[in-house]
Amino acid sequence: MQNKKLKWKSDFEKSVIIENFVNRGWTKSQDKEEDSSDWNVYWATVWNVRNIFNPKSGFRLNDQQIINHFPNHYELTRKDCMVKNLKRFKREQDKETYEQQGWNFDFLPTTYVFPGEYSLFVEEFHRCPNQTWIVKPAARSQGKGIFLLRKIQQLKKIAGTTVTSNMTQLNLASKENYVVSKYIDNPLLIGGKKFDLRMYVLVTNYKPLKVWIYNKGFGRFCNEQYTTDVAEIENMFVHLTNVAIQQYSDKYSQKHGGKYSIDALKFYVESAYGTEAFQKMMDDIHNIMLTSLKSVQAVIQNDKHCFEMYGYDILLDANLKPWLIEINASPSLTTTTPVDKNLKLNLINDVYNIVLPNDDFPDNEQKQQQITKVGGFSVLYDESLDLMNRKAQKRQSVKIWK
Amino acid sequence: MQQLDNQEILMKLKSSKQFWDIKKKLKQGLGDQQKIGVNDIQKFAQSCEIEDQLTKLISHILRKSKKRESLKEDQIEFLNTSKIKWTELLFKNLDIVHQKTKNQEEDDTNTDSKLYIYDEKNLLAFLQTFKQQQQSIALYQNVQFQSNKLLNVNIPLKSSQSILDKYQYLLLQEELQDDKINKIRKQIENEHIDIELEKIAQTFVPNGERCLLYLKYFEFDHQETVLQQNFAKLQKECSNQLFYDELLEIDGHEISEDTFYFVFQEQILTCLKCFIRDRTIKENIRIQLQNGVKKEHAEFQLPVTGFFPFKNISKYVAPLCYLSTKIHIIYALFKEFFCRYFCFLHAISSENNSILSLCMQIEEIVSTRSPKLFHHLKVIGCDTLKLIIHQLVYCFIGDMDPPHILTIYDSIIGHDSLEILVILCVGFLNKYKPKLLLAKNQENVQQIFSELREDRFQELVQFAYKQ
Repeated sequence: MQNKKLKWKSDFEKSVIIENFVNRGWTKSQDKEEDSSDWNVYWATVWNVRNIFNPKSGFRLNDQQIINHFPNHYELTRKDCMVKNLKRFKREQDKETYEQQGWNFDFLPTTYVFPGEYSLFVEEFHRCPNQTWIVKPAARSQGKGIFLLRKIQQLKKIAGTTVTSNMTQLNLASKENYVVSKYIDNPLLIGGKKFDLRMYVLVTNYKPLKVWIYNKGFGRFCNEQYTTDVAEIENMFVHLTNVAIQQYSDKYSQKHGGKYSIDALKFYVESAYGTEAFQKMMDDIHNIMLTSLKSVQAVIQNDKHCFEMYGYDILLDANLKPWLIEINASPSLTTTTPVDKNLKLNLINDVYNIVLPNDDFPDNEQKQQQITKVGGFSVLYDESLDLMNRKAQKRQSVKIWK
Repeated sequence: MQQLDNQEILMKLKSSKQFWDIKKKLKQGLGDQQKIGVNDIQKFAQSCEIEDQLTKLISHILRKSKKRESLKEDQIEFLNTSKIKWTELLFKNLDIVHQKTKNQEEDDTNTDSKLYIYDEKNLLAFLQTFKQQQQSIALYQNVQFQSNKLLNVNIPLKSSQSILDKYQYLLLQEELQDDKINKIRKQIENEHIDIELEKIAQTFVPNGERCLLYLKYFEFDHQETVLQQNFAKLQKECSNQLFYDELLEIDGHEISEDTFYFVFQEQILTCLKCFIRDRTIKENIRIQLQNGVKKEHAEFQLPVTGFFPFKNISKYVAPLCYLSTKIHIIYALFKEFFCRYFCFLHAISSENNSILSLCMQIEEIVSTRSPKLFHHLKVIGCDTLKLIIHQLVYCFIGDMDPPHILTIYDSIIGHDSLEILVILCVGFLNKYKPKLLLAKNQENVQQIFSELREDRFQELVQFAYKQ
């Protein structure tokens, strides 16, 4: 199959995207208009995707166009929507059924969405007086606006006025929602430092659900030794793993950027904790990915022109239990080190090898083909297979990925 | 020397899988007989070599139980003299380093980074100054000196072919199926005797059981409390600052930049600070690194370990940090590995495991099996040994990913020898041979090795046997 001269468009001036497109012999769309349709491949911002799929725009994608977000991706990637959908999915599932199927919901810390659930939060806050909470804007990224909370009065930061525990509702200064979760204060530490995992998941179809998991990723380390000392509660270099924050630490290294490969982490966990503990951890991580995607399957607008590469942020606690922190629709493609660049270059390359095999636009039938591994991606879940095959494949995918 | 009594020997025997295999064989062989006397057992045992196996097993237990004395004197006198000269040189270097640190304290803009007492290049340069002395010992082959070899030393050397033959089985290693891996796991859990653990380590060690195997091999598996207490005592001593602490902190900087080890930076430094204060090292180390003569009027003496810390000492600790979350375990393993094996990489000695012997083996193999490469490197002013000395002395740490490094450590235990490093160094040179043959000068060679590369244990073994 000859490589076609596809036209590409990108809202991001990122080398890992552009180099991939150029290396494939694709040409850049010359049309400068944001709503132009003179492209086949578009790596877009979430806002432009929303505009494209807005019925008022009158825009219709043709069969030779593919874009990197689903129209209402925010159902999964906005923190408040993610929590809402997971809670709804849990309620909907018959307990017996979801336990039989292996779905487990015990990966989301107790979370409340402000302002709506403020009173519920206050109740829980008083029930657990020594609990630390983490407050996050629902729709921001890179650690912006996040703080740790031990006193209700600290909510003044987001309310703009004094907040007391007697208040039954919270009026926020800005229009944005916030999510407030129980802070996991016993994270797994390596070398005394807190870290979280960034892992990549590709969804090529929601109905039926087809999920690919990438075998490379990294742990993002804090630069300061972890402590639960209240005096350090505002020290973001201790508590927040975002590279956007840690890069300002005096101890930040340009050479490794605080990023520890997931291969190394897997090796460490297996060697230091044993193979069984490692396998359970991986199974739990896969469960987080599948359950979260399943929770939005019914609500996501499945569109044949769309795929989405998510950045999952997962925190391991001291018992090796993984917790879901958030899911990113536009995981950062900035590269901070040569190793990082290599990873992301290969990641995008493998994404397009899946979504556009041989530069062809696959139809639904082709999308369901039984290929289980492409580059660093392996199929984690393919709902199109019957139940028996699905179970065998899930085990095989874990093995391949491992 | 510690001797085991009969009861202790029996206990050690009973903890060996081989013992139970022998017993099973005896039972099966003699099972039909009504009356079994000692003579019957003896006859049967002799007929199917069981007596031989049992004798070897008991000898091995007795041998391992004897505490090895630290080698202070070499059989070759000039090496003893050389060791004294080396120690004197290191004392001079120490003075220079101390002066440099003082200068840096006074002048912040002075960023002279050569703050170490010696590195592998210094060591190799020193070895190069040896001249051919002493007659060879009759039991071993003589090394036929060729003027184009970097090292010009007449010491007893094993045949390089015997080393190649010893590790050739690695070429046939296949990926094991789950059931075989599970079998090995059970073996490690049940086995206590080191000869059996060595056999496992020679072939395959599952990641999840590696720490247990190492602890059992070093007989630490039931001594965690003791290890913890000893480590805690050493940690307490670290509150008294030593000049060497500063050098260790500087040394840790390179590890702190390594993408595989930066997370363990604090643990590595803690282990090393405890190490240079550990008085038991002097009696446990298999070979004396420096001649510990007390210098008159010197500001600093040798640390209590009996040797100076050197550049990149941090590297030896780093891979072991993957094996446990407990620092006292990491420390115990590092101390054992260093005292048994890595010490030889820094000792002026004719021992088989010594840096001198390993270097000469590598030169011998490359010059005979890849003469074109050997000659080409000489012509362009790059020496074979200078190219691989870093990988040799630091066991490829920093060049290979941690799982491959720990496979090297497995092999070291498996054969109670560092000779695997000879195989890997030869493999390393063979792997890059096509590019090296095109290199016109040292800059080209440096360029080859500065590119992003991934060297793997099994891959280098394969290359070692390619001609």
